[in-house]
Amino acid sequence: MSVASASAPAPAPTAPRPAPRGDRLSSWRWRHRLAFLACWACGIAVCAITAAIVIYMGVRGVQYLNLDLLLHRPQAGLAQSTTGGILDPIAGTVMLTIIGIAIATPLAVVAAVWLVEYGRPAPLARAVESGIEVVAGTPDIVIAIFGLAIFQLPLFAPLSFTASGGGVFGRSFLAAGAMMSLIALPLVFGATREGLLALPTHLREASWALGKTRICTIRTVLLPQVRRQIATGSALGMGRIVGDTAVVVVLLGATLQIEPQGNVPVLSTLRGTGSTLTTYVYGNSPAGEGNAPQKAYAAAFVLLLIVLALNAAVDFIGRRGKGSS
Amino acid sequence: MLSRLREPWTDGQAERRLGAVACLVLLIIVLMVVFVAVRAWPSLHANGFVSWLGPGGNVDVQLGEMIKTGQHPPDSAYHLRAWPLVYGTLLTTGVSVIIGLTFALFSAIFIVEFAPARVRSVVVPAVRLLAAVPSVVYGLIGILVLVPAVGNHLISPGRKESVQNVVQLDGTGVLVAIVVLTVMITPIMVAIITDALRAIPTAWTEGASALGANRWEAMWTVSVRAARPAIVAAAVLACARALGEAVALSMVSGSRGFSPNPLDGLTYIFEPIRPLAASMVENVDAMNAPAVRSSIYAFALLLLLSSLVLSIGGYFAKLPMRRQGLRV
Amino acid sequence: MTRSRRLTAAVAATAVAAVAVPSAASAASTITISGATGSAPLVALLAKKYVKLKPGKVRFKLAQGGGEVGIQDAAAGRVTIGNAARDPRPSDPAGLVFYPIAKDFFCFDVNPANKLPNLSLDQAQAIWTGQVRNWEDIPGSTVTGTIDLIGRTSASSLPPLVQQLLLGNKTISPLVSLKPSDGLVEQSVASNRNAIGFNSGYYASQKDVRAVPFEGVACNLQNAKSGQYPGVRNYYEVTRGRAKGAASAFINWIQHSKAARKIIASIAIPLN
Repeated sequence: MSVASASAPAPAPTAPRPAPRGDRLSSWRWRHRLAFLACWACGIAVCAITAAIVIYMGVRGVQYLNLDLLLHRPQAGLAQSTTGGILDPIAGTVMLTIIGIAIATPLAVVAAVWLVEYGRPAPLARAVESGIEVVAGTPDIVIAIFGLAIFQLPLFAPLSFTASGGGVFGRSFLAAGAMMSLIALPLVFGATREGLLALPTHLREASWALGKTRICTIRTVLLPQVRRQIATGSALGMGRIVGDTAVVVVLLGATLQIEPQGNVPVLSTLRGTGSTLTTYVYGNSPAGEGNAPQKAYAAAFVLLLIVLALNAAVDFIGRRGKGSS
Repeated sequence: MLSRLREPWTDGQAERRLGAVACLVLLIIVLMVVFVAVRAWPSLHANGFVSWLGPGGNVDVQLGEMIKTGQHPPDSAYHLRAWPLVYGTLLTTGVSVIIGLTFALFSAIFIVEFAPARVRSVVVPAVRLLAAVPSVVYGLIGILVLVPAVGNHLISPGRKESVQNVVQLDGTGVLVAIVVLTVMITPIMVAIITDALRAIPTAWTEGASALGANRWEAMWTVSVRAARPAIVAAAVLACARALGEAVALSMVSGSRGFSPNPLDGLTYIFEPIRPLAASMVENVDAMNAPAVRSSIYAFALLLLLSSLVLSIGGYFAKLPMRRQGLRV
Repeated sequence: MTRSRRLTAAVAATAVAAVAVPSAASAASTITISGATGSAPLVALLAKKYVKLKPGKVRFKLAQGGGEVGIQDAAAGRVTIGNAARDPRPSDPAGLVFYPIAKDFFCFDVNPANKLPNLSLDQAQAIWTGQVRNWEDIPGSTVTGTIDLIGRTSASSLPPLVQQLLLGNKTISPLVSLKPSDGLVEQSVASNRNAIGFNSGYYASQKDVRAVPFEGVACNLQNAKSGQYPGVRNYYEVTRGRAKGAASAFINWIQHSKAARKIIASIAIPLN
């Protein structure tokens, strides 16, 4: 019994447990049949809504989606034909997402591990947990304004640039990425914590009984088991980062093209300003100036494709370690 | 120093180092709350904490007046009664979370228990995609599809005329705001609840089946009951997200600081509102004026405190479950 | 040294070098501009032309972010010039100088289903103050039902200008549905038969809305240029204190050169 249940936690995502013999729908009560129908209805509704959103954005924008649009840089212009392509916003989105999730995931996993495995003193643990949930509920505009106030301090001048008037510009990929990590943090933290809490205590006890220290147990036994949950949390976090508008509008400098700052190859782009697909959609659709609505819808469609790709990548990474089970 | 970090850690060292990182995160968050509170203080002080939340006058007009004041406004310039905004927030968030939670629970049960493998491979990416759609796109679909549909087909001219001297019914309002917000927060809940349901040991549900329960009963009475802490956590996270949603709601909720009157009957769901976060995003352009800046930070502080209350409430909701052996 | 110590040293050295090395000393000075999205295309075209005329002397960094961001950035010295699309307000920081560079016009617009031929001052006042609430009471309107007023939030510069120039200083009614952007006003008017809104000239000339003539004068670029149409607003370049050096040369060029005037005339209204 104990051997069998050692493999019980975190079951592999295969087909659901096949219905036991004799469990035919016709033998169920009315209430249960209704619930069964409700579940199917909700599941199909989710697919239908997603399909509707993707198709709607696709129909509105796909005719404008050609290789030209993807490979050219955006220009300022009033009419749709003069506004160029979306190459820089695509690069901006990808860069910002990577920076944001790269900062958020280690912080969130460490915080979750500390909270679940150690968590002493208890009031401090409660404070950390509540603090992260407070961040989850902060409007992104507040995080953006906070970030702006912080990164415009002279202390952080190396992270953006200092203008001729002596003021620190305060807006760059690094600044936006740092604040984006705050936005993704609660999601990764929540998912990791749920995963760790779901692991049965006998896993830990067995490892301690073999003489491993607590931290070694965490590193070698627990973390590999919650890889899928971390992946889910990261996927949700990346989704939140990709979809965020306010932080980008306030903290990325709102230049149409990516403008590096300085001469060092990678650092100059990080210190520079740019735009992302969300600000492009926001600015060119009816939500903003509305100069290039079709291109905005095409950009939204590209954004959805990027999200699908990112999710697939995260799934792949999360599944790599579970190959054995 | 790096090489010293690579040596095996002792438990005491590990606890201190991990705790330091967690405290760093907490410090940043506390810094943010303090920053917002300091900037919100003038508005709260000039109005009094309780009456700031109360009704009294048209909040849009009050905000508009603030923009005209100079760099050193007198105390009277900070006058604000934010009740319509608070009411709008409570309405949209509350109803959306309730509807969304039901929807998410059934969807999660579907994914874990009833979906054939092929359907599951479509639904799970669909949920993740929904969670990643930018709020701008939700707002756009709202104003391009939902608002004209509601405004031109669901709102009859007679209904419009019945309230035309008080408020305009043009499709944006409570109904579209709730629909859009529900669709936005449900995917997060689905993902978290699904993970929690999957983590229930199959031995438990097999035991229920062995006792004669059908699939639904086994799922509902065993798995869902055991996953209650995760359901509460998902609800809290989704509620927090709903409170903070600004861009999409500013586009579809009607953009008027108006308190819909439930006594209006069905017209109630068509009346415009404006939640707190949407008010912030719409007035961020006017933050030059100190009175406006302070009011906006006061909205932010209220939202932060609500998240805090939610988080504490969630903790207390999970406490009884601890007695039943569930780890919370 | 151990491998990790060498790695640390290498990373630290690169970081210090990256931050300490000043950007390559160039003879070109950089002008940073941020601000209004409405005048951004115009300023971008002007900047492009200026760089072509004076190669190697000046580099531009053009950011947007909104009119208020431009003014705040200019006041704090974070950018050289801020783009503003509104007149100076008493709540603006002290020490700012507003240089007018061009004008833009704004119109009342209605849904294309509404073939309203003209809006007189009295009618406009009655509609926008909320006195008249039904299209049946406005002669010439081809739609019936409640008038849906679409306006801009108080953070926008348009409402006070509309009140001053097109409504004879009457206050816009609080019934108005407030939209946070020009694009949303256009979208609302285009999808609602009973709507009437106000928008800057570019949007009012789009095909999905109809600009209404005011007091018999059609709302278009020509009439605004000639001064017949009263609804115009200024675009400004804002600096902290009087403009100096490269910025001063640029603003001078915009205000006085013929090439700049030609560019301005193509998408907005030149000052003189």
